[in-house]
Amino acid sequence: MNGKPDGRPRALIVEDEETLRELIIVTLGDAFACEEAEDGDTALELLHRSPPDLMLLDVAMPGKSGIEVLREMRADPVLQKVPVCVVSAWQSPSDVAKALEAGADRFLAKPFRVDELASIARSLVERPR
Amino acid sequence: MRPLSLVGRVGLLATVVAVVIGIIVASSLVAILSLRSSEAKESRAKDVTVATLRVQTLAVEIQSSLRGYVLSENPRLNPRFLGLLREQRKELPGALVALDKLVVDDPVQLRRAHAAGTELHDYLTDYVDPVITIASVSPADARGPASGQEDKLRQQQIHDSLNEILATEDLRSQRRATHTRDVARTAVIIGAVGLAGSAVLVLLFGAWVASGVAAPLRRTAEAAADVARGDLSVRLDEGGAGEVGTLVSAFNSMTRSLEVGRREMLLQNERLRESEQHKRDLISMVSHELRTPLSAVLGFTSLLLEREFPPDEQQRYLEIVDTQARRLATLAGDFLDVQLLEGGGFELDRAPFDLVELAREQTRLFFSHSEGHELVLDVPDEPMVVDGDRDRLAQVVGNLLSNAIKYSPEGGVVRVYVGVRDHRAVFSVTDSGLGIPPEDRERVFDKFFRGAAKTTTVGGTGLGLAVAREIVTTHGGTIDVESTVGVGSTFTFELPLSLAPAVSA
Repeated sequence: MNGKPDGRPRALIVEDEETLRELIIVTLGDAFACEEAEDGDTALELLHRSPPDLMLLDVAMPGKSGIEVLREMRADPVLQKVPVCVVSAWQSPSDVAKALEAGADRFLAKPFRVDELASIARSLVERPR
Repeated sequence: MRPLSLVGRVGLLATVVAVVIGIIVASSLVAILSLRSSEAKESRAKDVTVATLRVQTLAVEIQSSLRGYVLSENPRLNPRFLGLLREQRKELPGALVALDKLVVDDPVQLRRAHAAGTELHDYLTDYVDPVITIASVSPADARGPASGQEDKLRQQQIHDSLNEILATEDLRSQRRATHTRDVARTAVIIGAVGLAGSAVLVLLFGAWVASGVAAPLRRTAEAAADVARGDLSVRLDEGGAGEVGTLVSAFNSMTRSLEVGRREMLLQNERLRESEQHKRDLISMVSHELRTPLSAVLGFTSLLLEREFPPDEQQRYLEIVDTQARRLATLAGDFLDVQLLEGGGFELDRAPFDLVELAREQTRLFFSHSEGHELVLDVPDEPMVVDGDRDRLAQVVGNLLSNAIKYSPEGGVVRVYVGVRDHRAVFSVTDSGLGIPPEDRERVFDKFFRGAAKTTTVGGTGLGLAVAREIVTTHGGTIDVESTVGVGSTFTFELPLSLAPAVSA
């Protein structure tokens, strides 16, 4: 793990709905140092500045979609190892397959259970890479 | 020229053949009649010849009897010669009358017959009678050469006249025979040529009739096979003999209507597919739109139940739950409205009401909660009556006002106008918001389209304007938007004015 001034892992939350960003931040609580992005381009900018330990990524956003952001990350040697959990309201089998093919580590459907989100976040950060 | 029908062709063929056969029969009849009249004339000519010869014979016999009388030296024989002579003279008028009767219609022959008769008469009175008288007195004188010479001369005259009659009859007879032969030959030629011509005509007509039937029928059969294989675009060249032409055009109109029918069926299938796709899109859109506020409600409720938060945070999360639950309720309501309005199962409760009064009521309602915006209300003093569903139109006005407040910055001006334009009631709301880019202006009335609003903190279901448009168009009105990016937008709807006075709400 890198870039943890206060010892906590850093999580980047990419979500266009402000309420849901707040929900995720509150759910992850004090265990993570959270950064927010409301669209794909902002997310990529923050990613390039300093790769986080975990990313929670919405799919349907204005501008770049979550899938496009994920593809760009997986093509980038610096960002290809960042653990990503896609959090989406679009959850048909083909939507899930698209996310996993693009390089998602996990897929979480909206509406999600907050404890499930917390445990996925923990497992992604703690798993050996 | 329009081609003849099959019946017409056969009729024409029959007519031509009948005319040809008629010509053959007529020329045969003419030939037969001509032969028959030739025969009649021939037998009359024979009679004339016989009668003429009879007269000639009598003339010769009279001469012989006279010579016998004059030259006989046996007096016993004289009375016998005179008796013969008398009998012959008695027969002569009958023979002449018979000849006259036969040639009475022929002036030339009649004239010759009369001449011969006159010459015979003269011969009898001017020569025979005097010679008998002389011979009874002096037989030697009667035997003189002068007497013989005159006898010969007069007989020659009579014979010449009668021979002329005979020669003429003979010549005519020959001419008639030649003419009859010619007529018969012509009749035979006409018959032969006519029959051969008829045969050729029948063959040509057969070919003509066949060409008008066989080829178009073959093309029709091939086209029918194409149709059977499913190619409905096949068309035959119009035309052809009557009944065949009718068949061809009936075939074409059949394939045309089949093609139109299939096109309509395909179109209908396409529309059904589109409508199904539309429904699926809508359902997936709705479920997506529901999931976001649902996530917030469920998530914050779980957190509040499972974790300890300071009271101010608790309060804030409860407010979020409240807001998102309301958003869900609005979404459900709007979605039901859209379904109801689009499904057509929705009835307007129409009554005349005052649009000015409605505008005042709704602005009061919305601006009492929003002190951060400045309202400019530009409405007439007198009522403006429209015929419509007041509750539904209040929903439209409320939606436009809430949008204007939502999208205008704090302290921004919202202008509400009510007036008349081209005999229609006009209601418009102008905000001082971000404005809508031209490419989004058409789509703001689409379901779930929120344009730039999605990226902002402004909440909404993306259904309000879709519902507003349905309500206004169901009233026979129009709704549209004008906008300048960075300055603001004006949403305007127009409704037909009512002639009836308003019923107070």
